[in-house]
Amino acid sequence: MTIAPEVSFETLKRELPAATDYVAAASVTLDDTSLTAHNLRLYVQLVNAHGEPFYVEFDFADYPLYPPTVEFVSKDHTERGTKRLYPQGFHPTPCICMRYNRKAYSERGGPHGDWRLLDWRLPTGNGVAIDTLSLMISDLHSKVRHSTGRMP
Amino acid sequence: MNTEQTQDVRAQQQEHGKPHIVRLRVQTPRGLWSVTEPPDATKRPEYPVSTKIEQVILDVRSVFKFVEQDSKYTLLRGDEVLEPQRTLASYKIDDGTLLVLSVQGGNA
Repeated sequence: MTIAPEVSFETLKRELPAATDYVAAASVTLDDTSLTAHNLRLYVQLVNAHGEPFYVEFDFADYPLYPPTVEFVSKDHTERGTKRLYPQGFHPTPCICMRYNRKAYSERGGPHGDWRLLDWRLPTGNGVAIDTLSLMISDLHSKVRHSTGRMP
Repeated sequence: MNTEQTQDVRAQQQEHGKPHIVRLRVQTPRGLWSVTEPPDATKRPEYPVSTKIEQVILDVRSVFKFVEQDSKYTLLRGDEVLEPQRTLASYKIDDGTLLVLSVQGGNA
């Protein structure tokens, strides 16, 4: 099942103002300059406890029916899925192991066979349900801020 | 009013037993908390400077219904993490200061 990219784009446009306000206050960089209905990707730059930058790509294809695919990538966005692009503290697959990341589900090659994609808005554990772009950014911002290095 | 005058006013207020009140702005992933936003908020971020950071966290969570206990809630000023047991005064937080509520979900 898929949904029209225009629907994903409109959903994101509704969520972007809150995300933009949040990143501005939190000194996080959000790059949505290439975002269109036909390129549903945006990027966030975060820094760890030592000020080292990390780059996150969100691909919102089929959003909000399914969660985005969230991945640490290289600064120029050409390299992805390698451990050295991830901060310490994330799943060593490597993977951002949260329900809001499509890559975490076993049906997409991730470690979680116990989750269903359609339930992606449920909380992970007993925490807050991370179900909007600004909450996804806040969650990653918190985790990367506490990290002190790169995944070996 | 310049900085020295502001400090004089605070000193006079404290001498007369009136607590110095600061009005904050707190950006959360669900919106801004201020003296006007959100319009239906049941409390406003107006605090005596002796208030602990943990009280501000509790209040902003209540306004935006962050009820889950197992998440990590942190108040930031820019890159600076504000310790829950310290007071607003200890960070010299002024009227209109913008803080950020960082919300971390649970771990898988």
